[in-house]
Amino acid sequence: MANGEIISGFLAPHPPHILYAENPPQNEPRSQGGWEQLRWAYERARASVEALKPDVLLVHSPHWITSVGHHFIGVEHLAGRSVDPIFPNLFRFDYSIKFDVELAEACCEEGRKAGLQTKMMRNPRFRVDYGTITALHMIRPQWDIPVVSISANNTPYYLSMEEGQVEMDLLGKATREAIAKSGKRAVLLASNTLSHWHFHQEPEPPEDMTQEHPQSQLGYQWDMRMIELMRRGEMNEVFRLLPQFIDEAFAEVKSGAFTWMHAAMQYPQLAAELHGYGTVIGTGNAVMEWNLLKAGLARAAAEAA
Amino acid sequence: MTLVSAFLVHGSPLPQLCPDVPNWQRFRQAMQQAGAALRASRPDVVLLYSTQWFAVLDEIWLTRRRSEDIHVDENWHEFGEMAYDLYSDVSLANACIEACRAKGVNARGADYQGFPIDTGTIVASTALSVGSEALPLVVASNNLYDNAEATEKLAAIAVACAAEQGKRVAVVGVGGLSGSLFTKPIEAQDDRIVHAEEDAWNRKVLALIEAGDVDALREVLPAYAAEARVDMGFKHFHWLLGALGGRFQGATVHHYGALYGSGAAVVEFNP
Repeated sequence: MANGEIISGFLAPHPPHILYAENPPQNEPRSQGGWEQLRWAYERARASVEALKPDVLLVHSPHWITSVGHHFIGVEHLAGRSVDPIFPNLFRFDYSIKFDVELAEACCEEGRKAGLQTKMMRNPRFRVDYGTITALHMIRPQWDIPVVSISANNTPYYLSMEEGQVEMDLLGKATREAIAKSGKRAVLLASNTLSHWHFHQEPEPPEDMTQEHPQSQLGYQWDMRMIELMRRGEMNEVFRLLPQFIDEAFAEVKSGAFTWMHAAMQYPQLAAELHGYGTVIGTGNAVMEWNLLKAGLARAAAEAA
Repeated sequence: MTLVSAFLVHGSPLPQLCPDVPNWQRFRQAMQQAGAALRASRPDVVLLYSTQWFAVLDEIWLTRRRSEDIHVDENWHEFGEMAYDLYSDVSLANACIEACRAKGVNARGADYQGFPIDTGTIVASTALSVGSEALPLVVASNNLYDNAEATEKLAAIAVACAAEQGKRVAVVGVGGLSGSLFTKPIEAQDDRIVHAEEDAWNRKVLALIEAGDVDALREVLPAYAAEARVDMGFKHFHWLLGALGGRFQGATVHHYGALYGSGAAVVEFNP
């Protein structure tokens, strides 16, 4: 009987600005830095991932949008250049990603058994989206851990938010089941921004931090309210407020990654660790972690004791 | 005369990726007809707007002289890929950017190797056989925050810039009609408009377009956009209206049908 498990989950936002600000060799544009508080937040998250030593990272990105079903990358290795269609001046990244196809197939199958439409993406010329790449690079710039990449099925937008969140809940539970059967130690990444109101003009240079602040006071207040609840572990209240948060703060968590991740973790009433918060062109971004191993909610902790 | 022809076409890759599906074949034939008509109007350049090229900050214009790559659609990847080799009229695109800025519209160019040209632009360009070195494109993005009025203004700016450069233009709006689609796999031969109400809406609006009844169209379009979940609020039609100066004589619908449940058409306007 395999005993795979989820050992931690991260809220891992993906504005390409923070990757641009890091100046990794894979990204063509050069920056003078910027958004340090978010980048330092990711430094803390990286240290946690290093200590966790996961076998696999699973990422759900709102920038791979699929209308018929939830898709999973089913190619062992993909490489190429990903250019952000919105911020091509900031993100032109040469990626090389190894995928855990076996686990992706298991997630796909468990999703199908749960009644979801699921599909494997087998095209070797497929181009990986910048949301997936940014979250992965910021959390593990060594790119040495295999990945399961999951699309954002657009049911929250196409049907209703409630119907969409139900889909993501089922997807999360299916993901958990697949991980359990895999015998692997998995870390989940929900690639989502919080409040998503943003400016409509980019400063010159884009990393001019004198121009960076929350675009909306309401959005900022919502972010702080939700982060405080998460820090206190009041996740039932977070999910009770989620629809209102999405409506009033235009929150990107609508796309489903946040719900998927927490459903996979069985909605632990666990205090999140806030690694850091910052705005990017006015949007609210928090790097947060629910470390199940540290909290004794993963079996590996019991085995180690 | 600057504007010599105008077309509304779908941006779905399915007819090209699945050429053997009979009901989708009719879209390919219609696109070929429209492409022939477009080229017969002897334009110097094609002004193209695709609902699938999203922008959220500035209005972005494609300013790369030649864009060539292999494209895999994020949703229909299992059906293969589409090769493209598209040329842009960089001089006119840059003029559009400058004119936008002069009129208070934030705008910039995209001239990057590997820039992800959207599915709609690739589908329309390849199916209509435009975007060659001899017949280049000027491609404008769909700023998600722009409304119908802003989109019409954008097209008018582009046509005015072409006029200043003494160029004859064909205008293409790329996007769908009703937006509901099948969210579960279907057999392609069973494809139909998902909801009868949306089918009725599509037919009503296409009839008004054929009649060139712009006043009636302007009256019904907000309800059509909302009730038929029209692709991006039908902004691709407003792109055409803006380019046409808000008037046209009528139109020919080369084909109307379903593409995985959503409404789609190939329409040739009589300027």
